[in-house]
Amino acid sequence: MIRGVSQLQTLLPRESLLWIFAAQLVVLLPHFAHLPVWLVGAWCAAVYWRYQVFLGRREMPGKLIKLLAVSLAVAGLALTYRRWFALEPMVALLALSFTLKNIELASRRDALLSLLLAYFLAATLFVFEQTIPYAVYGIFCVVVITAALAAQQGRASARPKRALGLSARLLAQAVPVMLLLFVVMPRLGPLWAVPQNSSKASTGISDSMSPGDFSQLSKSAKPVLRIAFDGALPPPEQRYWRGLVYTHFDGRRWSEPDAGVYRWGRSNRAPGGDGSERPLPAVGPRYRYQVIMEPSQNPWLFALAWPHSETRGVRETDDDTLVYRSPVSARLAYAVHSWPRESIARAQSLNPLEQRRHLQLPASGNPRARQWAEARRREGMSAEEISAALLARYNRDFTYTLRPPELGRDTVDEFLFSTREGFCEHFASSYVFTMRAAGVPARVVAGYQGGEWVAQEEYLLVRQYDAHAWAEIWLPERGWVRVDPTAAVSPERIRDGLQSAAAEEFMQDALLPLHKFAFVSRLRLQWDMINYRWYQAVVRFDHERQQGLLQRLLGEVSPLRIALFLGVPILVALLLLLAWLNLSSRGPVLPPASRAYLRFCHRMARAGLPRKPGEAPGDYASRIEREMPRLGPMVRRITVAYEKAAYSDDESAEKQLRKLLRSFWPLRLLR
Amino acid sequence: MAKVTSAGSADSSGRKQFWQPLRHARWQRWLDRRLPAAHSVTLDHRKLFVLPSGAGLGFTLVILLLWLLGTNYENNLVFAFDFLLVGLMVVLPVHTFANLSGMRLQLLEAEPAFAGDYGRAKIALTQTGKRFHERVHLAWPSQEGALVDVTGGRDARDIWIDLPLLRRGRVRAPRILVESRFPLGLFRCWSWVDLDVEFLVYPQPKSAGPLPVGATSGDGEHERVYSSGGDDFVGLKIYQPGDSLRHVAWKQFAGGRDLYSKEYASGSDARLWLDWDLLAGREIETRLSNLCAWVLEAEHAQIPYGLRLPGQTLAPGLGAAHRQQALTLLALFPVQGVSH
Repeated sequence: MIRGVSQLQTLLPRESLLWIFAAQLVVLLPHFAHLPVWLVGAWCAAVYWRYQVFLGRREMPGKLIKLLAVSLAVAGLALTYRRWFALEPMVALLALSFTLKNIELASRRDALLSLLLAYFLAATLFVFEQTIPYAVYGIFCVVVITAALAAQQGRASARPKRALGLSARLLAQAVPVMLLLFVVMPRLGPLWAVPQNSSKASTGISDSMSPGDFSQLSKSAKPVLRIAFDGALPPPEQRYWRGLVYTHFDGRRWSEPDAGVYRWGRSNRAPGGDGSERPLPAVGPRYRYQVIMEPSQNPWLFALAWPHSETRGVRETDDDTLVYRSPVSARLAYAVHSWPRESIARAQSLNPLEQRRHLQLPASGNPRARQWAEARRREGMSAEEISAALLARYNRDFTYTLRPPELGRDTVDEFLFSTREGFCEHFASSYVFTMRAAGVPARVVAGYQGGEWVAQEEYLLVRQYDAHAWAEIWLPERGWVRVDPTAAVSPERIRDGLQSAAAEEFMQDALLPLHKFAFVSRLRLQWDMINYRWYQAVVRFDHERQQGLLQRLLGEVSPLRIALFLGVPILVALLLLLAWLNLSSRGPVLPPASRAYLRFCHRMARAGLPRKPGEAPGDYASRIEREMPRLGPMVRRITVAYEKAAYSDDESAEKQLRKLLRSFWPLRLLR
Repeated sequence: MAKVTSAGSADSSGRKQFWQPLRHARWQRWLDRRLPAAHSVTLDHRKLFVLPSGAGLGFTLVILLLWLLGTNYENNLVFAFDFLLVGLMVVLPVHTFANLSGMRLQLLEAEPAFAGDYGRAKIALTQTGKRFHERVHLAWPSQEGALVDVTGGRDARDIWIDLPLLRRGRVRAPRILVESRFPLGLFRCWSWVDLDVEFLVYPQPKSAGPLPVGATSGDGEHERVYSSGGDDFVGLKIYQPGDSLRHVAWKQFAGGRDLYSKEYASGSDARLWLDWDLLAGREIETRLSNLCAWVLEAEHAQIPYGLRLPGQTLAPGLGAAHRQQALTLLALFPVQGVSH
């Protein structure tokens, strides 16, 4: 029956069109970064076309053009992404669908669909970024989309101030519900495996290292890790956040063959695995800490040596590092226990495969370094003695610099015997090369070293410029031992961080040398603290934290208490609503006697004899006496009491009236 | 086996047929009790209903999908976004309700109409409180109705709404659907209001040939019929509303007497009687329709006419009042108790 109402309800009001475009633009803007350019162009073209229709200069596109547009767009998506089950193609598909919807935006239903898609797309933004600015932007998005929804209601609602005001007011009122649900709604955890975003370029440490890589990283002050300790804090010279081990050298580049897949597949400690299961000491010195890692688009995680983590999706490798089940595409938090190597007795030897792996060198190249190592070995020096000799060399005539000279073909030789100026990667690379040449199993370790202690919030902030490379050598009686050749040249790099080690060169290329102003650094740190708190309180609010918070709020998490916690606000809200309903639908407040009399009239009306408009109480009573004689005397008494109470301010009459009314139920009396 | 099923289905359909009107009647009774007919109705929480609209269901679907997204990506910001939308769904019904609550509808008039045409009712919409009433849609279902904003002061906003009328007589209009989806269209708040609208529906005019001028079916007795269309002055008669102002006897009026109008007669002694019996042999409704058409024609041609119906006679005359009288007689002509 209501279907016929259509016309007025279905046609799209003209004003609302601009609102829809505004909502789409606001939602698409941050997505432009990862959407293909042609999609952005397509959106602009569709909007332009629809706007021309709006101005009356063009027709809505015909079927053929629409078909063409859809097939072009789908082909474009297929060519751009080549796969469907990932996050970006999904988002692109959503963006595409409302782009295409634009050229046939005619009815209210189309507009609604477009705006619902906009809501969804706005929320997917958070899968990419969860920082405070994005959260604020997300709120802005909701306000605009909701305003666009309100603008669909007609010309009056489409005025910008009115629509935005309405939307902001409605959303402000929705906030308490949001907070309540945020605290209470259970977090179930993934119901099925979801596609992660993948194509984003990775920043930070990569799966290979060639000269110049780390000095590149030293130019960025972006935070990488935030680490909160539970208990003891390792001293600065122990803060080596190991991420990746490079074992393969091709003469110029150190790398880890098949870093991600290979290590995840080969990860140890699976009972019955390759037999290298390592028992974990139950007691003894260890560090317990929580790491919050920025998205790196790589699967490796960072931890102190010999880590163990029970966070879901995190595994240990036999290189004593941690890996995640997939590339880290959003902020990730994981908890780690680390045992310092010295605290674990190890009586194992390196198996032949490992031995070969850690002695691998290219067939030729760097003859002088090989020669030097061979000479030391022939002198009968032990591994430790060779290492010490090499470090002493570094200490004697090498310079630590962020701007090392370019190296040619034999990188190690040139560095060791001619340039003698370098950054951590040069030291680590040449050290490991030389040790291997001397027959000592060795490897390069990449990660971060140091970090800034943020005392107010008690966490260690590790930035991109803390990226570092060092070495590990195998000593039969001690196992893997960390050696940092950079420390031999520039101990302050290890102790105080890059900024003091390379004060002159530090961040020299930055567009604005902001780090030189103390207050800017302080502001930056403040901002990072706010971010950290935001992350801890909101982004990381998982099942455990939820339980913790509920425990603090309720004392004990039981179904009854949760029901109370939920029920009480709802009940209060309902009561307020009821009160408001009653107040708002009641006319001016009547004196008590009149109200009582109205109650009487109401009951009589239900009994089938309503009072006529304008009928005086006396006349009404007479009429009742005539038509329902059985009620007559009672009605007469009530009427008299009312008249007395209403016109002679007789308080006892009012009481009398109320008493009479208490027993006056005409429907029951007449039965 | 087949027999049993067929019997069963016949039974169930029979029951359905039996139940449907009963349920409908029950619903009507319930409405009548809750929202009794009155010329003036103020909407309040006893009279208004609120439920999500189709758009609201779509919105709920988005909420569910976002919840899945948040759950699968373990993303708290998506959750927060989602719960904000849930909050919207919680506060919206209150706003949608508040938009209609406190609005008063008052029937001002219901215009008479011909069967087969639309009857129009004029309704005044007033705010009783401070709140505006926006995007209010009023209609007899299946009609387009009117969409109004009741804003700005306490002035009434008068609107017309239409109802197609098929049957002649006094037609009681069904309940009016008052509806609004303000502010976001995700919820629908509505009421079925009975403003006690009653239309007087004239028969549908159906031409029965030219006016029966001069034709009489009486006993042949000569009657003088005057027609204001003539030129000869006949005398004065008390002025009646609807008489032409050109014929008012201003001289006498200025002399302190009542308002008279001059009567003129045409030279011919044409007596136009629109007589039931002239149309003998046709169906009752057709006869009424034909008479109706004649009345309109005579009025258009400015020929005074009288109307003779079984048991009722309207003396000849002319003018809006006369026309209405004639049409009313036709409209209310009883269906039963007619000979021939």
